[in-house]
Parts: sequence; C-alpha cells; structure tokens
Amino acid sequence: MKKSKFSVNLDGLLRQNIVLMSGLVTAPVIVAATTVQRAVVLTVSFFLLSYTSILLCRFIPRRIVYTIRILLYAVVAAAMYIPTMICLEYLFPEVLSGVSLYVELLVVNSFLLAKTETRFYLKPYGEMVLDVLVYVVGYAIVAFIVGALREILAYGTIYGFHLSEPIMPAAKSPFFGFILVGVLAAFCRGISGRRAPRKERDV
Amino acid sequence: MSEVFAKIVSLAMISVFMQNAIFDRAFGANVAIYASRKDNHVIGFTFAITAMTTLSSIVSYFFDKLLLPKPNGYLFMPLIYVGIIGVLYMLGLFILWKFFHTLFRKIKQYASLAVFNCTVIGALFLNSNYGSDLASYIGYGFGTGIGFFLACFMLNIAHERLDSDKIPRIFRGYPIMLIYIGIVSLAFNVLVGYTAEF
Repeated sequence: MKKSKFSVNLDGLLRQNIVLMSGLVTAPVIVAATTVQRAVVLTVSFFLLSYTSILLCRFIPRRIVYTIRILLYAVVAAAMYIPTMICLEYLFPEVLSGVSLYVELLVVNSFLLAKTETRFYLKPYGEMVLDVLVYVVGYAIVAFIVGALREILAYGTIYGFHLSEPIMPAAKSPFFGFILVGVLAAFCRGISGRRAPRKERDV
Repeated sequence: MSEVFAKIVSLAMISVFMQNAIFDRAFGANVAIYASRKDNHVIGFTFAITAMTTLSSIVSYFFDKLLLPKPNGYLFMPLIYVGIIGVLYMLGLFILWKFFHTLFRKIKQYASLAVFNCTVIGALFLNSNYGSDLASYIGYGFGTGIGFFLACFMLNIAHERLDSDKIPRIFRGYPIMLIYIGIVSLAFNVLVGYTAEF
C-alpha cells in the first residue's frame, strides 16, 4: 500500500493546544475573548499574523545563529502586522478597538518564537503548512468556546443575539478569564489523557 | 526634580498594583509561570524584563513622539518596538559576552524568552497609549518590571503547594496556576477599588 506523502498531525487541536496545554498564547483569550465577535477578530488576526509569519520564517536559514534568528522571526511578524491590521480595520471596524492591543502583542507570541524552532523547522514544508493550520484551528476553538461562554454569562447574548438577562457580568473580567481557561485546561488534560507528574513529597 | 521623581514613583506604583502586567492584562503570563518554577529564574527574568521595559520605554518615547502623530504611523510601531528591543537585546548579550562570559553561557538560552515576550512589548504599547512625557514612560516601564517580579514571586511561593498531591491530578501544574492567578487577579481588582458584579 502506498504511503501518503503528507500526514496530518492533529496534536495542535487538543494534546498540544497552544492555549490550554502548552500555554504559548494565553493573553488574548484570557483578557480579550469576552464575546464571540471578539473571538472571531482574535482568530482572524492570529491566522493572518502568526500563520503567515511562520510560513515566511521557514525561509530564514538555520545557519544564522539562534540569537539573530529569534529577532528575525519577530521582525517578520511585525512586518506582517501592517497588512493584518489593514485587513482587520476593513473587516471589523467596530470590534477591533477593544482587542487591538492583543493583536499587537502577537508579534512576539511564543507560538511563533518557540514552536517554529522546536517543531515546524523539523518538518517538510507541505507538512508544516498543515501542521501550523491545525494549531491555529486549536486556538480558534478555544477562543470561540471562551468567547461564547463569557458572552452568555456577562451579557446574556450570543454573537449579539439576546438570550437572557446577564447572569454574571463579572465574566468579562480578566480574573474570570484566568479561572475559565484554567478549568478548560484541566478538562482538556482529562480528555487527552495527559497526566501531570506526581510529586513524591506531600506539602 | 522632585516632581519628576514623584511622577515616576506614582506611575510605577500604578503599573505594579493597579495595572499589573500579569494580573490585570495577562501580559506574559506563560513566561511568569515558567520563570516562577525556580528561584534563580525569578531573579534573572525580573532583572532582564525590568531592564528591558525601562530602557526600551526611554528609547520608544522619542520614536512615539516622532512617528505616532503621523498618519498610519501606528502601523509601524510594532516594527519600531521590535527593532528597539532587538538592538537592546543584542547590546545586552554583547556586554555579557564581553565582560561576564560565565554568566553569558548560563543565561543565553533563556535570554530570548526574557526579552521577546508580551510583558516587554506590552509595556511599550501601553506607554504609547497612556504615557504623556518621559517621566511617565520611565515610571510605567520600570513599574511593569517590578509588577512582573511581584507576580512571579507570588507564583513562586505558591508553586510547591499547587503542585502537591492535594491538588487533583488533572489540575496540577499549568491549570491550577491559571486558576491561582485568577484568584489573585480578583484580589488585586478589589484592592484597587473595582467591584466585581456577580
């Protein structure tokens, strides 16, 4: 039987989800994903900025020393910020102002700076293109879940459509974002079967 | 002179307690969780981040005044900030390599993580939004580093307890740390007088 040229690795969806498992990109989801509309903006911005930056960074030669390479990754992402922001301003002019700070922060996100080195560089280009996309989808799923839950709780709406009276207005606060993402991370660990190492000494 | 000093101190206090980078904005929360695992990492990361936020805030002040008033100038700010951080990063590594070779070999693998993170660049973006003069830039930049230390220290002292057998297995490590940060974040909200509507 002929082996497929590309194998799609789905680790980025759950087992190595960048928000819930490795915590590489947490700030936008914890603070800014308070509604589904904001989750859409965060997902599109993450796709346009991080995905394209990683695809471009792959062409940076590995013979350049690590210290300079990391700097070049950030420069590529900062350059990609310009077309990303122009697109976002065109697509989401009303929602963007609330999340723009977290779009700006994406230029130095750990997903781009760390995963490119430890994972994406090691794969053939075609396989890498799909692999990064899986990670972006994993990010999007979490952003949408967090955004939807917080919108229902804080505003009583979903994508702007009225459902009920606000149940818990504090759900839009950063502290609730931390707690919610923490609980989701534990839930994600539970279903993915990953276990944290047990310490021998009790405290 | 005393007025400038008072402004720097008050802005630093605001960025430590009222707008803490980790507890209020989650800037570099993943780096804080990582750094809090070892005592020497807390010191090293704090020193690097405080130095970077303070120095880069000073340099960015001049670029902000020059470029931000221009139409679409804000689009180029990430590029400018990455450039500023990059130059300071290279300069810092060069000084360490030249004069503190042993220290350089120890920290070179963590240096990029301590410099290219959301805490450092986030401080520059917040300065560009809210900073008015050089003193406020310095105060906010320095305070962001100290705020990172406060968060890291609080995570460090809780780390062992939160990693114990008393914590359910699936919560141990990263999930319980996030929940802990959330509870401390709530406490900070109350400390500065915000009321959470439940």
